[in-house]
Amino acid sequence: MREVNEDAAAHAGQRATGEAIERGDGGPSVEALLARIRQAPTATPTPTATGTDRKSGVGTDAGARADTSTPRVGEDADADAGKTAVPSGAVVDVGAPAVSSGAGADVAPPGAGTDLYANAPTVPFGAGAGAGTGVGGGGDTGTGTDRGAGALPALAVSAAPAAPAPDADGLAAVVAAAAGPFVPGGQLSPDTDFFDAGGTSVGAVELVAALEDELGMEIDLDEVFADARPRSLALRWLVTAGATAALSAAGAPATPTAAGTPAPAADTIGTAPAPGTFPFPVPAAAHGFSPAPAPGFRPALAPASSPAPATDTPSIPSPRIPSGATVTARTTGAGTPYATARPEDLDQILADLSLADRLPWTGSPEPLPPRRILLTGATGFLGSHLLLDLLRHSDAHVHCLVRAADEEAATARLGEALKSHRLPWSSEIRRRVTVLPGDIRRPHLGLSDDVWNKLAHEVDSVVGVAAAVDFLRGYQSLRQSNVIGALTLAELAATGPPKPLHHISSIAVFNEVGIASMGEDDPLAHVDRLVAGYDQTKWAAEVALRRARDHGLIVTAMRPGGIGGHTRTGAHNPQDLSSGLISAFGRFRTVPAFHCLNAAPVDWVSRVAAGVICEPDAWGFDYNLTGVPNTLDDVVRDMAYGGMHVRVQDWDEWRTDALARLEADPVPELGFLTRVLRSPTALKLCEATLKGPAATGERTAALVEALGLRPAARYDAQAQLRTFERLARDGLARLPDKGDQPYLWFSETTEGDVGPVGGGADTPCSMALTLSIASMYQLVKERRVDVGGELVCAAAHPAPLLVEHGDVWIRPEEGIPQRHGMRHQLLRYRLTLRDADGGRWWLEGHKYARARRDVWRQTRALNVEIGREGEPASFAGELVVPADSYVRDQIDGIKVDPRLTGREKRVAKLTWLAWFGAEMGRGLLGPFTRAAADLLDLRRTRTPSERPR
Amino acid sequence: MIFRTTNSRTRPTIRKVRTGTALRPLRHRLDPARVEEIPFRAGDGVRLGLTRIDSGEQDRPAVLLLHGHTASADMFLLPETRNLVDVLLDDGYEPWLLDWRGSCRLPYNETGQRYTYDDVALYDIPEAVSRIRERIGDRPLFVVAHCIGSLTLSLSMTAGLVPGLAGVVSQGVFLTPKLAGRTSLRMTVAGELLKNRIDHIPVDFRKVGLRSKYTPLFALASRGAGCPDPTCQILHNSAWGSGASLFLHENLSEATHDRLAELLGPAPLWILPHLRRIELARSVVRWHDTDHRYRALPPNALDAAARIDTPVLLLAGSENGLWLDSQRLCHEVLAHRQPQLDVSYTEIPAYGHLDTFLGRGAALDVFGHILEFLAERR
Repeated sequence: MREVNEDAAAHAGQRATGEAIERGDGGPSVEALLARIRQAPTATPTPTATGTDRKSGVGTDAGARADTSTPRVGEDADADAGKTAVPSGAVVDVGAPAVSSGAGADVAPPGAGTDLYANAPTVPFGAGAGAGTGVGGGGDTGTGTDRGAGALPALAVSAAPAAPAPDADGLAAVVAAAAGPFVPGGQLSPDTDFFDAGGTSVGAVELVAALEDELGMEIDLDEVFADARPRSLALRWLVTAGATAALSAAGAPATPTAAGTPAPAADTIGTAPAPGTFPFPVPAAAHGFSPAPAPGFRPALAPASSPAPATDTPSIPSPRIPSGATVTARTTGAGTPYATARPEDLDQILADLSLADRLPWTGSPEPLPPRRILLTGATGFLGSHLLLDLLRHSDAHVHCLVRAADEEAATARLGEALKSHRLPWSSEIRRRVTVLPGDIRRPHLGLSDDVWNKLAHEVDSVVGVAAAVDFLRGYQSLRQSNVIGALTLAELAATGPPKPLHHISSIAVFNEVGIASMGEDDPLAHVDRLVAGYDQTKWAAEVALRRARDHGLIVTAMRPGGIGGHTRTGAHNPQDLSSGLISAFGRFRTVPAFHCLNAAPVDWVSRVAAGVICEPDAWGFDYNLTGVPNTLDDVVRDMAYGGMHVRVQDWDEWRTDALARLEADPVPELGFLTRVLRSPTALKLCEATLKGPAATGERTAALVEALGLRPAARYDAQAQLRTFERLARDGLARLPDKGDQPYLWFSETTEGDVGPVGGGADTPCSMALTLSIASMYQLVKERRVDVGGELVCAAAHPAPLLVEHGDVWIRPEEGIPQRHGMRHQLLRYRLTLRDADGGRWWLEGHKYARARRDVWRQTRALNVEIGREGEPASFAGELVVPADSYVRDQIDGIKVDPRLTGREKRVAKLTWLAWFGAEMGRGLLGPFTRAAADLLDLRRTRTPSERPR
Repeated sequence: MIFRTTNSRTRPTIRKVRTGTALRPLRHRLDPARVEEIPFRAGDGVRLGLTRIDSGEQDRPAVLLLHGHTASADMFLLPETRNLVDVLLDDGYEPWLLDWRGSCRLPYNETGQRYTYDDVALYDIPEAVSRIRERIGDRPLFVVAHCIGSLTLSLSMTAGLVPGLAGVVSQGVFLTPKLAGRTSLRMTVAGELLKNRIDHIPVDFRKVGLRSKYTPLFALASRGAGCPDPTCQILHNSAWGSGASLFLHENLSEATHDRLAELLGPAPLWILPHLRRIELARSVVRWHDTDHRYRALPPNALDAAARIDTPVLLLAGSENGLWLDSQRLCHEVLAHRQPQLDVSYTEIPAYGHLDTFLGRGAALDVFGHILEFLAERR
């Protein structure tokens, strides 16, 4: 893109300016700059006029939004960049007209998400909001440093709404009140993230609708996902909605206070902590709201060099601080939206990384297996399995940090979580677990100082599993859990006696589209190319903890890929992306063409993680707990093995197709998948996941071998079976059933005589049945075949009786004789029939294996009993499959689902014949072996020959 | 092939076999004063072991623990892990341990004084239960039974010999024993080939030595084994030569692994016909058809299952390498044929057969289910 090259030149100047401002000396003074800003609008009359026109006119189109500030930004960039005015201006101008013209012409604007504004009735949205959705990535492919330009324009924009700050508070409160009903507690404070408070994705959608209906506030859903604090929503809306008016009014913004402090702090009018408490270059600050001052990380425990937060400011080199403020206003590039991270997120990431620098210096821990472990995230999917594995494979006592009001609630919550993951929860577990009510997002984990200090001195191992896993939410929304939480654990590990910190990272740290390799020691992704907030937080946490290693802390980073369901219990994470994808594959019988799936079952991941934690020699390294990757071929073959023949589609085709199907026929349990497939950022994450290379884990493999653990095995059909069953039970996946097109079917005719029970069989009777199976799964697991067809039996009714429901079980109950004896069950028929007059009947039939020479007849002769519904049998007799029709119907006459290819049909037929033949063989052999054993028992047994007695 | 050893003159090829009936002492870490050994002989004169663990309280419900064949009461008292007796004591029960005649603390498996499972079902279990009842009065009595202990208990229960139990926990196998076809075949072939040459299969290589007629058995058992310990091989890899697996290796603690030879003894070959008859019928059947001393026992316990008068919890490890999914099958069969019975089934993921009691994590994964069952019915 043209912008890229131009940016370099443009930003050189901008950066100089930005740094100058930060230094507080040199360059133009703040007043001078502000003066320039004030001039800016007037200097670009044309675009502004357009915008204003639109607004004052109808104000219905998107153009108004884009126009209100974008051109101004362009101008600002020109102004403060000074020397490089022309190219810089060009950069922004490219974007701005694109949006405005597009909207003006009522054509959907290029940026995803922007089209949502097209319906905006009255409230004009500012470009700030547009950028806030993350569409600003267009031209912004450079590294962080090239973003120096922005402090000032941002100041300009943000300073304006700063004036009506009380309004912002009020509005934030209103938004918070509106959001209250959508969180479990029923209340949301203006500075609490909606999702942190327990809000769900569905809740977010409802909240957006409610805000629009009740308050007339139009906020994009992606906005909410990116940063869902009511205050930030309010401020962003204020900024964008009121920017035009406010800017002109704000002749003398309050920004002079910014002198000497980083720009963002200045922006956080009133709501911010003391300037510089945490000089977070929160991009959001550009809009004038509070920059998330990492409340979870208490600087009080920082090294002596920075005891008080206020003095920290200068010690942190943050050349990029102003930059964060800048680029927010950038609008959609005409090119690829969501190709890169939002700049404001990058700035926040850098600020968060610097938090690691205040960890205390620490020594090496004693290399002993842990005796007391602090575990976070024990209520989660991996965490709960890890808790059990730690208890099983060490003698340690485990302290579990659980988010709850008090200990009782926390214990109950942990118990519920373990049970929901099909793990035991008994007094034997409770006696080795201490539950601590707390919250990783809060300073000192939300623990009292006493508890914190006690933990710091008693615990000898810290295991951080807790993380907010949500592929829709943005960095701002997730960082508190995933980054600040990890740093708080590092702080705990470094406080008191040195302890190892074991951090569950994620293969998401490599989740860049087009990354070359994902080895344990390979470089992580370029963070600016990570788009999804989740990927960014996992990257930031791992990089921050790498920095912590420089403080002497022993940090182990374990990176699972996809965590599949338990191979034995089928426990899975119903909201997990891989659960959703597997379910969708099975439902739609299509798979996207992925490269490989780096997924391992939770039991293996947790067992290896527990092995690392309990083995001091393993501490301090990075591990990829990804197991053996599944390739596309593997998955297709596995699904065919289960009787689900899938077709492969291109990713884009699959996504469109799957989304269309999900929208046409919504599955509530798969709602999250629909949302992911709709979210541009989450799609990027999916794309990177599906197109990425296989993760490798040599170190993990070596460790597994050294510890004698079960080596990684491919997460194949057999291993996934239980999980798939549970997915089906929970409504996500769907097992083929009788209503579907059968996988395979054939007809069977039987003829014979029946008569009254106890009497002679003299009435001819025949059945014409169709036996079918919906999948091989049904056959192997339930050993059952579906039956349809009719029964002709004059004794019951002159007209044929229709089979309403019928099953045949093959070797039911392992063939155990119904009564003591040698008559083993071979097949059991159970049919429900209806006669022409509506009368209902039942038929129970058995084929028996006996130790007799008429084996061929045993496979064909069916002893039946027929009776009216709810009554005992009235007729009994024997029906036999005619020998000549057997082979014709049941071998040659097998039909297979016509949608399958010829090869698949042959395989299906042979699989059925092989399985059924083997079962019949076993069944027939049973009585003969018993007879043979009776003969062997007659053998003379000599007195035991072993001598000394 | 197994060689005859009768012409060897230079050194005795046969090890010494215990002949006395004194019980080998239990190994535990309880206060010796709390472990009360009760002299006990079965009705046919066979000396057995009955042990009561004193909890210091007189009003606790009693729980009788039945070991599997060739194991002993030691399997519930492992000093190296949190064992079932510890857990029961802490949860307010009074454990009782019976060493029935298949115990390795007794010599009968080795000395050729033959018995069948009919004897266990007719004499050992009912008499132990009535002896316990004499002591505990009308306090509730539960039974937790493992493997053959549970199989023979099912025969006693369907014969109506142990009425009025408060609850039964059955591990591994109950009324519908099912072996893998391969195991069954190997058991039969090996049994028929060896039965005139040896009468039991030892598990402790240190006691038989390198050069013995058992060496080929150990060699066969070591085929494809992951663990170099011959005792572990013949148990874990081969289950006394039958090719089944008794436990998941990774579930045992190292100390337990090293004590396997002490926990499990030699398996007699002469029990195989009864075992085979039971297994091929897929239900517990009586051996003695014509001996009227045994007529109290039903010819087929599954047919007599309606006589079960107590709640039953069927436990099984999901990876049981010996009895496979017998318990799931039993639950299915009883639910279909005897729907009035209170029978539940719990599968323990990632456990084999023996490790449900011997495993280092058994307290966490298994005993919780037992306690829960007992607590509902105490």
